[in-house]
Amino acid sequence: MNGISSDVIRGYNDTMILYLLWDHPSYGYEISKQIKSLSQEKYVIKETTLYSAFTRMEKNGYVESFNDDTENGRRRTYYRITESGRAYYLDKCAEWTLTKEVVERFIKEGNDSGNN
Amino acid sequence: METIRNYLETMFAKLPNTTEIRKAKNELWQMMEDKYTELTHEGKTENEAIGIVISEFGNLDEISDDLGIKNLMLQEQFGNSRAVTLEEVKEYFRDKSRSGYMRALGVFLCIISVCGFLIKIGDNWIRSGSIATVFMFSVIAVAVGLFIYSGISMGKWDYLRKQKCSISFATAEYVHNRRESFRVIYAMMITIGVILCILSILPYLLLNIVSVGFANVLMFVLVGVGVFLLVAAGNINTGYTVILSLNKGDTMGAEFVPSQRQVRYNNKTVETIMSVWWPSVTCVYLCWSFLSFDWHFTWIVWVIAGVVEMLIKNIYRD
Repeated sequence: MNGISSDVIRGYNDTMILYLLWDHPSYGYEISKQIKSLSQEKYVIKETTLYSAFTRMEKNGYVESFNDDTENGRRRTYYRITESGRAYYLDKCAEWTLTKEVVERFIKEGNDSGNN
Repeated sequence: METIRNYLETMFAKLPNTTEIRKAKNELWQMMEDKYTELTHEGKTENEAIGIVISEFGNLDEISDDLGIKNLMLQEQFGNSRAVTLEEVKEYFRDKSRSGYMRALGVFLCIISVCGFLIKIGDNWIRSGSIATVFMFSVIAVAVGLFIYSGISMGKWDYLRKQKCSISFATAEYVHNRRESFRVIYAMMITIGVILCILSILPYLLLNIVSVGFANVLMFVLVGVGVFLLVAAGNINTGYTVILSLNKGDTMGAEFVPSQRQVRYNNKTVETIMSVWWPSVTCVYLCWSFLSFDWHFTWIVWVIAGVVEMLIKNIYRD
């Protein structure tokens, strides 16, 4: 296996981003870095994927963006989770629990799966 | 860093210039810049950092829906423009400045062509003589020759106007820097040109008593040199504008050089007038000056034109 198929994980990019925004606002690179480290470098989110998720979620009202200056004086866009974003995140968590439960019933256990 | 900027600008160059797309480019740039900075701090070499940033960038198709572009492939109409290379641009500037000086020389010759009629030899005006006429026609012939030659030699660049062309981010930067360094020379040429035109009245006032003919000749030569500088400076500067406006205003490529962003007017008529504003002013200035010979006074045209332009910009700016 060469890593995660982007088709499969696409539905859960939002979940990961909202999880990382839960406690405090953050910005693009920080989020992508955290996704990489939390997934133990098994998943690297592309910049375009991340941006696409931000704009979609902002349109749906799950996050809000604002500009702030960085340490070295550059402007940077930050994102903050909204109340409906939190509700959406909890929905997605419930959906994942269900999905995992269903899919898992069809997954063979152990390394020799598929041979029997 | 420059490589990454180049990469991003090139990816966006042919997309329509809209708020959403500008925002997307800006934010993607922030992420790439952050990532690059951190990677180099971690001790990666510049090339490694660039490689990682670009390979993890992703695909613009992914954000096309969010940007209000249904399908990037449909944007191909933006894509089929002729790319003008840096080498071609450099050659264009060489040709453009040569032809600029030739035209300026032509105008200078036209202006001084009448001098033969103003010279007095001993007590006799050569005004009535054929020498003055011969002088005038030969000088004008040379001038026309210069105009034709410069016109034909610039002919090979016609495609810049007729065809859809585009330049890359790196080329735009080169042109921008080159124009910036020309700016001082340009300002000096224009200033000295205008000063010479204004001062041209001096020989007439100072030397009038000594010799009318000589004063008149000197006046024409001063005006001639002044106009030579104005025409040459104008021609060279036009070259930069032509190249920098190749990237059409409706694509992101037009954003390469921020200072190039043209003032947009909210009124079509005003926009048309303003596009020919300074050439028209120059025309009015020269016509009025030559017809009235009030050079000491006609420079006021520039001041009025400048003030009026500011007013129009402030009132009709979009």
